[in-house]
Amino acid sequence: MQKLGDFKLPHFFNYPPYFTLQPVRDTREKQLQLWKELILDFCRTQKIFIIGLEEEFSLFTNPVIERSLSHEAKETFLSALVSEGRAEWIDKGHKKCLILWLRIQDWADCILRFVKDNGLEDSVMTIEEIRSGIESRGTELHGMDRTVLIRALKLLEHKGKAAIFKGTSADDEGVKFSV
Amino acid sequence: MRRRPGIGGLQTAAAARDQYRLLGENVAKIRTDLMKEQLATFRSQLEDFARKHKNDIKKNPAFRSQFHEMCAKIGVDPLASNKGFWAELLGIGDFYYELGVQIVDICLATRSHNGGLINLQELCTLLCQRRKTAREAISEDDCLRAISKLKVLGSGFEVISVGKKKLVRSVPTELNKDHNEILELAQAHGYVTVNEVDRRLSWSSGRAIDALDTLLEEGLAMIDDGHRDGKRRYWFPCVSFSASVGSEALKT
Repeated sequence: MQKLGDFKLPHFFNYPPYFTLQPVRDTREKQLQLWKELILDFCRTQKIFIIGLEEEFSLFTNPVIERSLSHEAKETFLSALVSEGRAEWIDKGHKKCLILWLRIQDWADCILRFVKDNGLEDSVMTIEEIRSGIESRGTELHGMDRTVLIRALKLLEHKGKAAIFKGTSADDEGVKFSV
Repeated sequence: MRRRPGIGGLQTAAAARDQYRLLGENVAKIRTDLMKEQLATFRSQLEDFARKHKNDIKKNPAFRSQFHEMCAKIGVDPLASNKGFWAELLGIGDFYYELGVQIVDICLATRSHNGGLINLQELCTLLCQRRKTAREAISEDDCLRAISKLKVLGSGFEVISVGKKKLVRSVPTELNKDHNEILELAQAHGYVTVNEVDRRLSWSSGRAIDALDTLLEEGLAMIDDGHRDGKRRYWFPCVSFSASVGSEALKT
């Protein structure tokens, strides 16, 4: 089976017509379904949060069969994810897309689990510590996108489970958990 | 016979005819009895054989297929009824009904990939993957037998031959001669182009496009515009998709 780094690619990735948008409805639905799953899966294992439509993205090209997705196809697949709440367009021109393989709510739950597992209730952490500290190593949180993290934390703040406060510079924003 | 004159001669001739007829009937009766006896012996021998090789019949697909062939020759159909001697002895009926259900399952699950037309070989591979836990191996012959039983349901399961391959159809789509010829052509590379169809089958361009459009509509073909030469290719999952792709479809 073909691999991309350590990612196992599904078999449909080697079947050329899956790189052309299918005109018949039923066939296209199946095509969309397979691509949506592949994109989420790939981003999750590779910790990719943002896909730029105008940049090279290894998942959208298969050199073995010499096929690449057209701009229209990329936009169609990502839009399908957007409509399901699994992605968001960052700009109006649909050039960059934020992939939420976990929804913001799921990220918030993930943070709570992390806090409980590490006995961090009632303690203070900086955002950077959550993203790249020793505690989060090996968890989904490690290396996560800053904006996604802040949005998840804001959701927790909204629920009264955390309080975000500003430090002196942008990169030492802190958060106090009160689970 | 020399004709003799008079009433006496006619009577003798009639009596002789009767005699001949009687003798003929006797000979025929003896022959039929003998045949019946032979068949009965053969049948009981077959039953003995089945009893003796029960395990082989159950486990070895090649053996099973030969056994079926043998049964068919003497007019015994082990699948005809689920009751009675054969089913009790071999449990063959249940085996094929089970296969039938699994075949329907696979055909439905892969339909969105292949439009309801699946390569028999691929179906068989998927069936084996699915039955990993079951001990008996499955041959294409078994698949064909199970499918022939499905016909009773009138659900439109049918095996069609296209070129060298056998395809199992699970949708009521009528494939005409044009479609079949295109499918046959596609077996070489998995795809065809309009030009190729025109050239190889000497059709006018409209005819090829018509047929390909129908196949596309039915979900049997997929278009591919990504090749360097810029020519649209029509791929046919039912002849070119590997079994492993099908198994992905089964999971979702």
